[in-house]
Amino acid sequence: MRYNRTEIAPNIGFSSVIDEKFKTGSLVVRFITGLSGEYAAANALGTGALSSSSARYRTLAELNEKLSSLYGAALSTFARKRGDIQILGLTASWLNKKYAFDGEDVDAEMRELIRGCIFEPNVQDGCFDADSYSITRKDLLDHIDAELNNKRGYAISRAGEIAFAGEPAEFSCYGTKTAAAAVTSAEAYQAYRKLLRTSQIEIFYVAPEEDPGFIEMFRESFAAIDRAPAEVAFRSISPLKTEVAEGSDEFDVRQCKMVMTFKSASEDFFALKLLSTIFGETPVSKLFMNVREKMSLCYYCASRLVSPKGAVMVDSGVERGNIEKARAEIINQLDEIKNGNISDSELESAMLSLENALNQIGDTPSSYSSWYFERFCDGQIKTPAEQLADYRNVTKERIIEAAKSLSLDSVYLMLDKEAAE
Amino acid sequence: MEKNIITSQRTGDSCIHVKHSSGLDIYICEMPGFSSVEALFGTKYGSVNTMFRQKGDADFTVVPEGIAHFLEHKLFENEDCDVFELYAKTGASGNAFTSFDKTAYLFSCSKNYQESLRILLDFVQKPYFTQATVDKEQGIIGQEIQMTNDNPEWRVFFNMLRCMFHNHPVKIDIAGTVESIARIDADLLYKCYYTFYNLNNMVLSIAGNIKADEVLAICDECLKGCEDKGLETVFPDEPAEIVQTEIYETAPVGASIFNIGFKCSPCSGEERLKRSAAASVVSSMLTDASSDMYQRLLKEEVINSTFDAEIFAGDGFFTVIFSGESPKPERVRDAIADELEKWLAEGICEKDFQRIKKSAYGMLVRMLNNVESVANLMMNAHMDGTGPYDTISVLSGLTAGDAMDFIRNELKREKLVMSVIKGDEQ
Repeated sequence: MRYNRTEIAPNIGFSSVIDEKFKTGSLVVRFITGLSGEYAAANALGTGALSSSSARYRTLAELNEKLSSLYGAALSTFARKRGDIQILGLTASWLNKKYAFDGEDVDAEMRELIRGCIFEPNVQDGCFDADSYSITRKDLLDHIDAELNNKRGYAISRAGEIAFAGEPAEFSCYGTKTAAAAVTSAEAYQAYRKLLRTSQIEIFYVAPEEDPGFIEMFRESFAAIDRAPAEVAFRSISPLKTEVAEGSDEFDVRQCKMVMTFKSASEDFFALKLLSTIFGETPVSKLFMNVREKMSLCYYCASRLVSPKGAVMVDSGVERGNIEKARAEIINQLDEIKNGNISDSELESAMLSLENALNQIGDTPSSYSSWYFERFCDGQIKTPAEQLADYRNVTKERIIEAAKSLSLDSVYLMLDKEAAE
Repeated sequence: MEKNIITSQRTGDSCIHVKHSSGLDIYICEMPGFSSVEALFGTKYGSVNTMFRQKGDADFTVVPEGIAHFLEHKLFENEDCDVFELYAKTGASGNAFTSFDKTAYLFSCSKNYQESLRILLDFVQKPYFTQATVDKEQGIIGQEIQMTNDNPEWRVFFNMLRCMFHNHPVKIDIAGTVESIARIDADLLYKCYYTFYNLNNMVLSIAGNIKADEVLAICDECLKGCEDKGLETVFPDEPAEIVQTEIYETAPVGASIFNIGFKCSPCSGEERLKRSAAASVVSSMLTDASSDMYQRLLKEEVINSTFDAEIFAGDGFFTVIFSGESPKPERVRDAIADELEKWLAEGICEKDFQRIKKSAYGMLVRMLNNVESVANLMMNAHMDGTGPYDTISVLSGLTAGDAMDFIRNELKREKLVMSVIKGDEQ
């Protein structure tokens, strides 16, 4: 595997990962900007429109026909949240030309198609094409509506709104439904133009062989844009509330959800990650073994580290009658770690679990892209092996200190309506 | 014990098949350059296998719904500890799943695969249940059933199956019901275990950063030979007709969702593979974003990018399902039926057919790029009675005439059902 990152324009990185084992080429372009309630929807729509048509493929039908003729090549856009930043982008993957039975140069065709979508969108008089934009906006509105369909995901989103209230991270990366419905085609295009000029841009190309055509295409295309990149804060610790904030919703559901957010001001990322792994990220973690297995209080109970905000979120599926007991036991399990009750086997299995995950990076193109992007956000490019060495250096004392740095900030409950009545 | 190398003529990929002396079928795919290992130890035993007998049994045994899934949960505990605790010592990530026609135990790892393989082969061959542990599991699975009931995608799917099937157990939730799992006890679990977890009814599939000789040496060490007891599974008679054309339910959802499905005639082995390939191309032509129908429905705002199709088939059932979000699913259903009638009258477009076929080929080759997909592909193909790369060769030989035959014979309007979940205010 060969990895290389080149700065092709101010605050625009092009990372290339060449790994001969893959049968596909893939590309991810990420536009990174501050998350705000005002612009989130326009940004999502401005980039979302890129995969519905281009100046050359003027309708979704034409664009899709071309993609399917290239052996089902995939092209889509996305919006994500990472702490206080919004990440918008375009992702594509295609079959390497070696497997094309009609001898087409799929890589070259995709390069041209991607160039068109990003740099020559389907725009007239400063507006995205009306039909294409209408499809994009409806898709986003439907997507916002459908968030409730996934109860676990919805509960975590609502918990984030409460935990990070007053900070950019409280907003959805899609914006609100009202805001999205109000964004005009011209506004969405303006938002996209602004992203091209001001956002931090990271491009990842992963393929079995070198193709200098991709980096050249991006270098030339961005040279025509007058860049004025704005700073973004990749890490912004969320302040702990003076009193634990509580929030709840009631729905016609059979299983309640509880999401507890703990906050820490610790800068010891590696200790926090190990703490979260021991606490609730594996099937031998304290939460799984005690709250679920021994005490049968929850069907699932897991923790996750939200590193950019200095938070650990614990989400659980729980019967209403067990909510208080589960809450107390989750806190008790964290106290166990604070009191130093971490066995050697717990520490070693957490380390092995992290090592297993790190060693698997590179087995899919997306794992390479995600790994190097996350390290870019951390401000230090390193290999999975180097990161593993950092974990290996964490002592039990540092994990205990990390646990002691956590305090309960807020609790969100999704309650069953019938039982309430 | 003979090693049989299976190669894809189209892509050059290959794997090894061994019929082990213990009775187990073993598939091994060495994938140079990859770091991870994915192993699946599976049995042809899923939620639909509720009626069975072995050689010498006069009568069929009927067991409660959900028992295959219950057994999967219980096998994760052995006499001394939980299996997760054993995997924790090797760093592997262990898991298991039960589907309609199979149960599989799996792990993925990036080192110590030999030790993890020993754990896998050992615990699956060593059942240990007591009434106390069975009683405890009833509570945990009861919670799982409650949780899946809150999943609208799950509910819309099972509601659709209940519209299609009169008697076939595929219409029952994989986990069963709170009532059916209450009838499960330790003796019943042992009976099911010794019936279906016979190595002659099982397969080991392992792919990634492995060496075939090492895998086979561990199999020699850990597998306990089994006598083939002539397992026979049967299903209740299932009429060709559907039960009802549509079903609506309300639930707390932000967007209404639908499943629209055709009940087709069941088939198995190579025939199922051929028919699945035809069904896959035909359904992809209908959901293709460049098709006239898709564009029409998009303009009418009755579909969005979630509109998709899948083939759902197994022992005694074969269905083609369209799913998505829509404020007017009736319009989507009628459009699908009308489009198929048009194709029957005018024929399908050869150019579109070839384009979609090419797209399907690309997606199949891309699956071979992934350790987990390859391990699953080998296990699923074996359980379906086909070879790992047969889908690619069957797809290559598929003609527009085959697709038309499938439309004509299987996608009939009177076999079309629709299930909808709407929000309270929709």
